Amino acid sequence: MAVEDSAYGRWQQTVAARYKDRSFVARNRSGVEVEPVYSGLDRMGNEAEMPGQYPYTRGIYPIHYQYQPWMDLQIIGFGLPSQTRKRMDLLLEQGGSKGYFDREAYNFIFDMPTSMGYDPDHPGVRGSIGDCGISVCKASDYEVLLDGKDLSKTTVSLVLNAGSPAMLGLYLAAAKRRGFAFDKLGGNLTNYIWDFFGHSGGTNFSPRGSYRLIADIASYCAQHVPLWNPLTISEHNICEAGADNVQAVAYSIAAIIAVNEECVKLGIDPDSVVPRFGFHVRYGENFFEEVAKTRALRRVYAKVNRERFGCKKSGSLQARIHAQTAGSLLTVQQPLNNLVRNAYGALAAVLSGANGMTINAYDEALGLPTEEAVTLSLRTSQIIAEETGAVQVSDPFGGSYYVESLTDEIERRVFEIIADIDDRGGLIACIESGWIKQQVSAAAYKWRQEIESGERTMVGVNKYTTDEPEQYAVFKPDPEAARLAIEDIERHRRDRDAARCSAALEKLREAAVEVSEGRTIGSVMENLVAAAEADATLGEMQAILHDIFGRNK
Amino acid sequence: MQDNAPNPRVLLTKSFIDSHDRAIATIALALRDAAMEVVLIDYEQPEDVVTVALQEDVDIIGLSFMSGGQVETTQKIVAELKRRGVDDLPLVVGGVIRPFDVPPLEEAGVREIFRGGAPLADVVATFQRLAKAYRGYA
Repeated sequence: MAVEDSAYGRWQQTVAARYKDRSFVARNRSGVEVEPVYSGLDRMGNEAEMPGQYPYTRGIYPIHYQYQPWMDLQIIGFGLPSQTRKRMDLLLEQGGSKGYFDREAYNFIFDMPTSMGYDPDHPGVRGSIGDCGISVCKASDYEVLLDGKDLSKTTVSLVLNAGSPAMLGLYLAAAKRRGFAFDKLGGNLTNYIWDFFGHSGGTNFSPRGSYRLIADIASYCAQHVPLWNPLTISEHNICEAGADNVQAVAYSIAAIIAVNEECVKLGIDPDSVVPRFGFHVRYGENFFEEVAKTRALRRVYAKVNRERFGCKKSGSLQARIHAQTAGSLLTVQQPLNNLVRNAYGALAAVLSGANGMTINAYDEALGLPTEEAVTLSLRTSQIIAEETGAVQVSDPFGGSYYVESLTDEIERRVFEIIADIDDRGGLIACIESGWIKQQVSAAAYKWRQEIESGERTMVGVNKYTTDEPEQYAVFKPDPEAARLAIEDIERHRRDRDAARCSAALEKLREAAVEVSEGRTIGSVMENLVAAAEADATLGEMQAILHDIFGRNK
Repeated sequence: MQDNAPNPRVLLTKSFIDSHDRAIATIALALRDAAMEVVLIDYEQPEDVVTVALQEDVDIIGLSFMSGGQVETTQKIVAELKRRGVDDLPLVVGGVIRPFDVPPLEEAGVREIFRGGAPLADVVATFQRLAKAYRGYA
């Protein structure tokens, strides 16, 4: 076999072509030269796959952190846009908010009303406004939040649930007003409307309506906002809802299958949208299992998109992964222990080859994180990146008997669950029948019972407990935020051009009917942008989408 | 000693906008396994909680808060219980309850507060005790 035909030979050629003469050989403390990747034979005695090669078990890039470190995206958001802006400025000053290629990056989380698509003056949301996230309901809120930022050099991640479609409308309208061309806008919409595993609840659209809307947004973005990532499949959320790792990977892939099937049904070529889909994966519970599940996820994703959907673009086969440490494993008891938990979780993510990172704050079980805690999360990432040497070698566990065997086993079990879901009529049918929810709740309950019985240890909770006084600083949100947000939206409704706004909302309704009935695709998103430009609010747009696409219960 | 008390009926509920339902779903299963009858709903308005509690004739209400609304919502529910003459119906709260939430929750008459990591056995025992006392069996 000629060298250039081998995996290693092809890898060498790619590296030489892509990174020119740059060397990625590092030296450790003792002066030993460390190669960027190690390889050899796999467990079957064949030449092992290299990073950056199909099916991407070992990572999606031939050279990873040695060339491009992960993006640190601390979650940020509370109160009014002006209050969150202050926290953003602090993070930036501390060396955080670093995106790829010198961009600034922000990972915005919204309060629950916003996340679900409700305005602050909706009668059912009092008490939650600006608590646990930013309150945003109109395009002009982004003028405060991102005042003076060059949006063509700022990556914005919008983390929210059922309010996702309308929120993207607000962001794009704000960018348009400030004169930024859509083809320069980089960012991410989690668009958790795919998530019927526990995170969007009753405020989500009907399952079929949700998947139709996902296709609409993806096709609009592919055409008009090509650098935008319109969908994050969150393995993390599924784990947090209680599923085990195999279930969570399988359900994540099942969600991708459901989205792709919807696209194919509507005549959208998967290769035109899939490269912009991404994953959000959870770390912090079982170190080696999490490394293996990440490798298995990348492999299964590549195989499914290529073999089942005929994708050809390499971007359609490469699972980009944003890592987050596990929020549900943070304990109220002995909260400083959470710093250690988060560090191990983050290390597992790095050794898995994750592309972005959110490390939770150690005090999140107590309430919203304090500034000190947020800074320590960032320091954790910086210590892994710049002190530990963990970044010198890509896929350092590749070839480990244990990790390779576990990767194969997770892959096998994931395909079993996917086959089971297929037999049950596909993911949407499984959501509608309640089967999915039952599977997740049963897994969550089993986990909790293991804690109760002591079979599973949680340090400080069911073992090594102490009676400690509660003396930790807890962040207190501004009680005035709700009043100010409501005054602001009332003023907004008074001052806007009411006729223009109603006309834009009427056009949104018409487009929603067309898309819902399958006559066109992409025009819901187009009309969300137009309505937001005409000063429609998040809740007003959401009400129309709920009307046409149905509600989850 | 023979226990003639009927199995408690419980209303567990959280806001329709709070998507974090792992805790409340787990508590529901634990109470069910302890032979309680559990009604599990999302509410849109705090007042809805009292309407359902009366319709379902429950012996205790459990509220879950994972992301905001702890104090204001609880106060509204307590006010509605009073307005409808059932202010002795026991109310317990669980989830992310911050130190500064505790005094106003206690002042509102919340009977017990459970935070993350509270043993299920304690939660079950508390629901049982409060529900039975409400029915006059303790």
